[in-house]
Amino acid sequence: MPLAVRGSAIALAFAVAVFAAAVLRTSAQSRGPVAIETVLDIPPIPGDVARALTFGFRSLLADFTLLQAIQVLPARHGDMPPELAAPIDRRLFRLLEYSVEIDPKFSGAYRFAAAALPHETGDGKVYGVLDAIQILEKGLRERPDEWQMGFLLGFLQSYYLHDFPAAARSFGAAADLPHAPAFVGLLATRLAAQAGDLQIATSLAEAMLAHANEEATRKEWQDRVDALHMERDLRGIEEAAQRYREEKGVLPRSVHALVAAGFLPAAPREPHGGRYVLEGDGSARSTATERLRAYGLETRFEIH
Amino acid sequence: MSAVVAIAGNTVREFVRGKLLYNLLLFAALFVAGSLLVAQLTIGNWVRIILDMGLGAMEVAGVLLAIVIGVGIVAGEVQRKTILPTLAKPVPRWKFCAGRYAGLVLLLVVNAAVILAVLGLVLRLAGYSLGRTTLQAVALLCVEFAVLASVAVLFASFSTPILAGSYAFALFFIGHLLPDLRAFAEKSQSALGGNVARGFYLLLPDLELLNLKAHASNELPVAAAYVWRAAGYGTAYAAVVLAVAILIFSRRDLN
Repeated sequence: MPLAVRGSAIALAFAVAVFAAAVLRTSAQSRGPVAIETVLDIPPIPGDVARALTFGFRSLLADFTLLQAIQVLPARHGDMPPELAAPIDRRLFRLLEYSVEIDPKFSGAYRFAAAALPHETGDGKVYGVLDAIQILEKGLRERPDEWQMGFLLGFLQSYYLHDFPAAARSFGAAADLPHAPAFVGLLATRLAAQAGDLQIATSLAEAMLAHANEEATRKEWQDRVDALHMERDLRGIEEAAQRYREEKGVLPRSVHALVAAGFLPAAPREPHGGRYVLEGDGSARSTATERLRAYGLETRFEIH
Repeated sequence: MSAVVAIAGNTVREFVRGKLLYNLLLFAALFVAGSLLVAQLTIGNWVRIILDMGLGAMEVAGVLLAIVIGVGIVAGEVQRKTILPTLAKPVPRWKFCAGRYAGLVLLLVVNAAVILAVLGLVLRLAGYSLGRTTLQAVALLCVEFAVLASVAVLFASFSTPILAGSYAFALFFIGHLLPDLRAFAEKSQSALGGNVARGFYLLLPDLELLNLKAHASNELPVAAAYVWRAAGYGTAYAAVVLAVAILIFSRRDLN
């Protein structure tokens, strides 16, 4: 066979193979069976046994389970019913618990657990706090050198459990550590003196936001800071409305009426992008999201 | 001594010309560079991911080189009969073994240094730097490679390459499980069981003593006294194993 013919035949065969691969791939994809959703399942062996079986690569496996937890978190939405959120919460907790069982010194996993596990609903119920506290107590034992462990535990104890003496003790212990910022000690003192104050909770959440270096963790803290800022604004509007009624005898018709009459210096900016509305009974609300109803000395979260 | 140095130099030259070293180095470098992407996809605290992936890649590449080349420099040469021209010269067998081993350890240290340089570069790109614990972890990884290379040479001194490689890999895995064997020995209700476990613990290399990867990624300080003692233990263990390998190899009938 002449060389030119043989070369052309090889080139033609190559082109046919490339074309066939492209066509058959598309064809196979369109006729494929229903995709099976695969999720990482924690192996049914205890974490301390798995740690031995990593043959020296335990921190790499701990990273992997934390990364899985970070991927799981966005599946849980703020307005999700508890029965739908519960399996996600369980999986998140198991992944984070496994991560710190495999590498008990993994401070990033403890910090993420404190931010990601607790979540509250609009009707004052809160989920995952006890799981987060369980993981953080292990973090306190394993990383006594990290002030963030005691600080995070103190935040959960004060914000969700309203156990202010325990929270003040946790902050106090965190403040004693060498690298703890000065504000931790101040917060411990203020918390002991002014338990239940909304401003204290806001200061704590803002401090955690400033010190969170993981993106997913920052988002969780940012959400809490926004909710507390909104609550502060709503209380300010309601107090101004009460002063307005005491002076004028009637309730104001809007937030702008309060500003115009000098009872508010300016209309506060709603942190979620909505606006504040004053109701006919003098209560205030946001058009963007539900109000945080369970903060203060009188009202409490329902822990689940 | 000059014969040992000459054989070590030849060993380095031989494997620098080969493809295995470059393939593993490329794999490790890509793995370390890839850690930057993985870190970006996931959490803001990138240093841990980069260090875990970088030190993991360094260990995988180093262990593969130590065992595959360690077996090849003795058993491979015997199997291919390429050892005979060397031994026909006035070179004692112990010098051959020691020289080949020294060349391999030098190669492993250079390999670790190259991966460390890539790791340092990736960390710098991410805005971090190599910490003291990371350097201590790399130093002890080099000692681990030296131990595994001596084990590979020992098994290769009396066995075929495939069997020697299998034994050496098994010892790598067992070496990382030894703390559990020690715990078993301490907790065992049976005196005989405890003594047997204790005997195996003393006989086998405790590679977890040389594992500071988790400390490096958690940025935990490690006392220099510990590093020196662990490195001394590993070096002494490798020397004893190499001596046994030389003893066996010196008495082996190569015909």
